[in-house]
Amino acid sequence: MNPRFVEGARAGFKVFLPLSIGLIPWAIVTGVALRSAGLSIGEAMGMNLMVFAGVAQIGTLPLIMAGAPLWLIGLTALALNLRFVIFSAAIARGFDGVPLVRRMLSGYLLVDGVFAVCTQRLLAEPDRDWRFGYYIAPSLWAWGLWQSFVLVGVLGAGVLPQDWSLEFMATIALMVLLVPLSSNRPMLVAALVGGLASVALRGMPLKLGVIAAIVAGIAAGFAAQRILSDRSGAV
Amino acid sequence: MDGAWLWIAFALVALATHIPRGSFIVLGQRARLPQPVQDALRYAPAAALAAIVVPDVLVVDGAVQLINPKLAAAAVVLAVAMRWKNPWLPFIFGMAVLLFLRKGFGL
Repeated sequence: MNPRFVEGARAGFKVFLPLSIGLIPWAIVTGVALRSAGLSIGEAMGMNLMVFAGVAQIGTLPLIMAGAPLWLIGLTALALNLRFVIFSAAIARGFDGVPLVRRMLSGYLLVDGVFAVCTQRLLAEPDRDWRFGYYIAPSLWAWGLWQSFVLVGVLGAGVLPQDWSLEFMATIALMVLLVPLSSNRPMLVAALVGGLASVALRGMPLKLGVIAAIVAGIAAGFAAQRILSDRSGAV
Repeated sequence: MDGAWLWIAFALVALATHIPRGSFIVLGQRARLPQPVQDALRYAPAAALAAIVVPDVLVVDGAVQLINPKLAAAAVVLAVAMRWKNPWLPFIFGMAVLLFLRKGFGL
């Protein structure tokens, strides 16, 4: 193996390892949530391998289990995954000179934690083999860790009692993701408007209210950003 | 719901995940998103998460209920998540509050 690749892989793994432990409860909870919703072991792990995105899986699960229309399931998943478009745009320069197949693998493996920890260094390093190693090693580690502990949750869900309201763990997981996102005021506005609009519009057919609420939340967040920056005189 | 439909739904969610993820990494330097669009999209995850979570904790049997076990548990989860970085604590405290209220008081 290319020594620069190995060097990059070691550095990437080392910097991501502490944070990766945080994936374990998410993965277990996701596994339990998939099973509690009514999926079989095979279906739960199949979805997990195909999608490999806890938020999109837990977020679309109620719609899927309710037999909602496919276009609504797709749109909801897209809304939940829009952050990846931003991540992908932000990290893209780190893959300059990396072959197409490897870039496609890198896209499949893109997760929040690796993006957060690795992007800055990735964009600063000139050697492309080093860069690819630095990204792919922690990404594969995150993938393996995630699949393993979702399996633990999927298998464990069967031995856990049924009347413990375990499906609420998925809601907790989504809230825990929401807290750091809402750390600035426009983000908080987007979340509040999105959440309350979703309650107000819950009577709309086909759960269309969820999509309308997301659009309202985005618009409110964007408007709040404009208003707040005008007031403070910042750009 | 039959088995094939379920797998089509999974495939759709997979597509809706991997197209955003791969987008700019796969396209490389040929594509750039306009700045105002990038700005607005930043709010999509927060709005989407809240749109899913808030009805779940606020609506009971189709009606808004401001006093219910899930909402109490949600308040504790938010407080714990804001105070501590430990990823296990919100799950432990949130489930403890919910189960305490449901099992202890039959709510």
